[in-house]
Amino acid sequence: MKVNHTTAKRIFAGTMVLGLSALGLTACSTDSGDTSAGGDVTMSLWQNSTTGPGQEFWKKTVADFEADNPGVTIDVQAIQNEDLDGKLQTALNSGDAPDIFLQRGGGKMAAMVAAGQLMDITEGISDQVKEEIPEGSFIANSLEDKVYAMPVAVLPGGIFYSQDLFDAAGITEAPATITDLETAVEKLKTTGVAPIALGAKDAWPAAHWFYFFALRECSPDVLAEAADTKDFSDDCWIKAGEDLESFAATEPYNQGFLTTAAQQGAGSSAGLVANHQAAMELMGAWNPGVIASLTPDEKPLADLSWFPFPEIDGGEGEPGSILGGVDGYSCSVDAPAECLDFLNYIGSADVQKEYYAAFNAPPVNTVAQEAVTEPYLKEIIAAYNAAPYVSQWLDTVYGQNVGNALNVGVVDLLAGKGSPEQLIQAVNDAAKKA
Amino acid sequence: MTALTTPAVALPPANPPAPIKTSRRWGTPVAYVVAVLVIGLMLAPVLFIIIGGFRTNAQITTDPSGWPSVWNIGNYLDVLTGGTFWRLVGNSLIAGFATTLGVVVLGLMASYVLARYKFRGRGILYATFAAGLMFPMTVAITPLYLVVKNLGLMNSLGGVILPQIAFALPTTIIILVPFLRAIPDEIQEAAFIDGCSRLGFFWRMIVPLAMPGVITVGILAFIASWNSYLLPLFILNNDAVFTLPLGVQSFASQYSVDTAKVLAFTSLSMIPALVFFALFERRIVGGLTGAVKG
Amino acid sequence: MSVRENTSTRLEVDLANGGDTGTTPVAPPVRRRRSSSVGAKVEIAVLVGPALIVFLGFVIFPVVMAAYYGFFSWQGYGPPTDFVGFRNYITIIQDPTFQEALTHNGIIVVLSLVLQGPVAILLALLLNRKLRGQSLIRVLIFVPYVISEVVVGTGWSLMLQSNGAVNGMLEKLGLGAFSQDWLSNPDIAIWTLMVIITWKYVGFAVILFLAGLQGIPEELPEAAAIDGASFWQIQRHITLPLLAPTLRIWAFLSIIGALQLFDLVYIIWGQYIASTAGTSTMATYLVANGRNAGNYGYGNAVAVVLFLISLVVALIYQRFVLNRDTEGAITDKGTKK
Repeated sequence: MKVNHTTAKRIFAGTMVLGLSALGLTACSTDSGDTSAGGDVTMSLWQNSTTGPGQEFWKKTVADFEADNPGVTIDVQAIQNEDLDGKLQTALNSGDAPDIFLQRGGGKMAAMVAAGQLMDITEGISDQVKEEIPEGSFIANSLEDKVYAMPVAVLPGGIFYSQDLFDAAGITEAPATITDLETAVEKLKTTGVAPIALGAKDAWPAAHWFYFFALRECSPDVLAEAADTKDFSDDCWIKAGEDLESFAATEPYNQGFLTTAAQQGAGSSAGLVANHQAAMELMGAWNPGVIASLTPDEKPLADLSWFPFPEIDGGEGEPGSILGGVDGYSCSVDAPAECLDFLNYIGSADVQKEYYAAFNAPPVNTVAQEAVTEPYLKEIIAAYNAAPYVSQWLDTVYGQNVGNALNVGVVDLLAGKGSPEQLIQAVNDAAKKA
Repeated sequence: MTALTTPAVALPPANPPAPIKTSRRWGTPVAYVVAVLVIGLMLAPVLFIIIGGFRTNAQITTDPSGWPSVWNIGNYLDVLTGGTFWRLVGNSLIAGFATTLGVVVLGLMASYVLARYKFRGRGILYATFAAGLMFPMTVAITPLYLVVKNLGLMNSLGGVILPQIAFALPTTIIILVPFLRAIPDEIQEAAFIDGCSRLGFFWRMIVPLAMPGVITVGILAFIASWNSYLLPLFILNNDAVFTLPLGVQSFASQYSVDTAKVLAFTSLSMIPALVFFALFERRIVGGLTGAVKG
Repeated sequence: MSVRENTSTRLEVDLANGGDTGTTPVAPPVRRRRSSSVGAKVEIAVLVGPALIVFLGFVIFPVVMAAYYGFFSWQGYGPPTDFVGFRNYITIIQDPTFQEALTHNGIIVVLSLVLQGPVAILLALLLNRKLRGQSLIRVLIFVPYVISEVVVGTGWSLMLQSNGAVNGMLEKLGLGAFSQDWLSNPDIAIWTLMVIITWKYVGFAVILFLAGLQGIPEELPEAAAIDGASFWQIQRHITLPLLAPTLRIWAFLSIIGALQLFDLVYIIWGQYIASTAGTSTMATYLVANGRNAGNYGYGNAVAVVLFLISLVVALIYQRFVLNRDTEGAITDKGTKK
């Protein structure tokens, strides 16, 4: 039998080569913040804007910063919002964290602080920035009086709606109570549009409805207590669930809301509003920017308006309370010092103005806020400043584990798959899995 | 089934002789009709994806299931000329070839020992490898991720290649051991009489004789690596090292506004696997046939 | 071709017996040199070593570690320190979401067998004759199997949306009344999943069965036909029993695959609503409650549970079903000893 000894040898050699190159590939992991002898610094930035103006903003901001700081290079990665938390967590606990990344605050930030993953920037905030950004925004990104992220946007929640569709349905006043809202829903149904767009596939948009009902039903003390002890035994939680159940029973949401994404594509809930296929959406103040990227001409929606979440009868929450996240950017604990410079840079008035222009969202910087023109943004800022009590989104407050369980539980509730009691039970169960 | 193979040893070919046309109630036309129907069902979704890439988003929204009015190749061109797609293909190719090579080399060496050496503990060794069939990637993924992390292989193709090799070994060994054991010992005796060492016998005789099994195993390993999703999902966080399945999902969510482009991307990512399969179809199907056939 | 025949026999025996065929050699018995010399031991070590190291390191060790981590409450940072004993396992068993996922897996297992088996057998019977282009037909039927689950999931989920191609096609055909929420309606979603799974894997079953059918010599059905048996009688009494070993192997692969299903469900339904839609599986439960929620200890416990369930099912199947091939009446293994 003619056996090819040379072939065998070649196979063996090839194995060695490929084996070694495979091992060599292991060296190709992402570098985070290495500094070479010449003082050149490379940093990585993870942000959650994957479309148009948002991405442009980051590219420009980074380019400007690099121009002002020669030797510094920042590599921007755009990560889909829904994937960000999971990837960030994996990166953080595998020691491969990006240097600069989006920070949502609350329990999620607390987990990162507990694991020692965040840089404490309390001392490093520039005086100018400290003057221009209100303390309340810093508090949202602080833990035990230490600041861990530079806030960039205050994003309170409320109901965005299309004025044109409201006019067509004969709705003259923004609903002030839930009963008004239900009336408006009925009127809108007659005009053939979906009254409320809901992106339940991503779970948190559905959960926002529950959070607001809880905000109305529960006193601030109960909410704060739950944040500390994860104790949801107060009756107000069940009542909030029942409120949501009865509201959902009027069928106000778009068809197929269970598999409607929140922000991805023309079929998402934001897309439905952008294309006038749905009249309302309960969202945070990032929504105008998201809607703008989904309109046919990719410009902001001309007739977009806003009203705060309606009040309910009874309930122990303070009227006018509002839920809102503060988006910020954190430095990883191993990031180079230039990271702090970058954070100060993005907190400064000029960059904040551009942020507002790109994202159509309220900046935290008070100087930049003066440049805001849209009426709905002004209303949002006003409502936020006047609110007697502000809480962050509850899933952020309670951290990834309980937050996820809460979100999924609300989706089950809306799908008719569970009762409010089961929702609370699921949340309690989640604590056992931690 | 096995009873019938013993007399078959005496018969020459593995293929059955040409069937005499008996009085079946179902004639060949029915078979063709059914075949065409089935193939139509199988391929319809694939065709939808491919053709969808030729349409524009407006068309897709207004008429989801229609034919393109104008064959718009812009989407395909965009994907092909953008760097993302080729980078993903490159990463998948590296991962695929390295995995295949590792599986073939390590599997062949281990199977040789298990098939042709007699030693204490051989049974246990074989059972250990075979038990690996019980550990799917899904079960081991979380601790595996920790192992890879502790080895410092996160975010690298090596962190994907090594586990893939490990998980492909059970199937490989189970397929190759019978192949190798079936090589008649007379050849081995003759080789030893001629002064060939055991390792030399391995190189000169075993490798060529086991080639059919090796090729089958290699192809299966390559396809598995090409389509693998869960492992890269956990290990690869940096989109510079994404493999194709990860890239498809990431592209689909990033560009979900642009349904047509997503369809173009998805259909282009099917093509390497299909081409590979078409080239090696005989081997793959033949390999499965040989593994099961009585 | 004697190599081929022996190969297949040994494979079936291997699977049934867990691999030890040392006592039932099929080839004429030959003395193998006893490998007790030092040189042989070194050779063994060198040849098996790399495979063993890689396998132990990346397969066995992680599974053992999974069992270990499952006893802790652990968020993934640093080493685990919070020992909780069996609490994770008790939580898993009591969690209604897990029980649902387990039920879904059971449904998928059963429906996979029931839907794919008969269809594939019928197709294989129909296609098992000299057809022009048989090779092409085989290739085309096999295409869905080759495409990755990610691509399949992405494509199908685009087609199945409320305003997608499937509903669009129904409307065009005048069947608009049948338009459904294929993905989000909990009553329908599991069936949608089964359709997609069947579409993807039935080709594999057909190919496998075709191979098995080709091992049946033509003389047997012909003799029966000459004796006056009808087509269906021939299938029932001759073809199917002879196809049975192939069927059993295919069923085994199908069951294990169904228990471990992850990619398709995760891609189409995402990480949050799979359980609401009624399509969650144990694997998606693992990822949703383990990694995505930051509960690494709990996630490992779920992995161990998944492994144990697969192992028990596999062992039961091997013991009661696959062993028939070695002890059954249709084989005459006894004469080979």
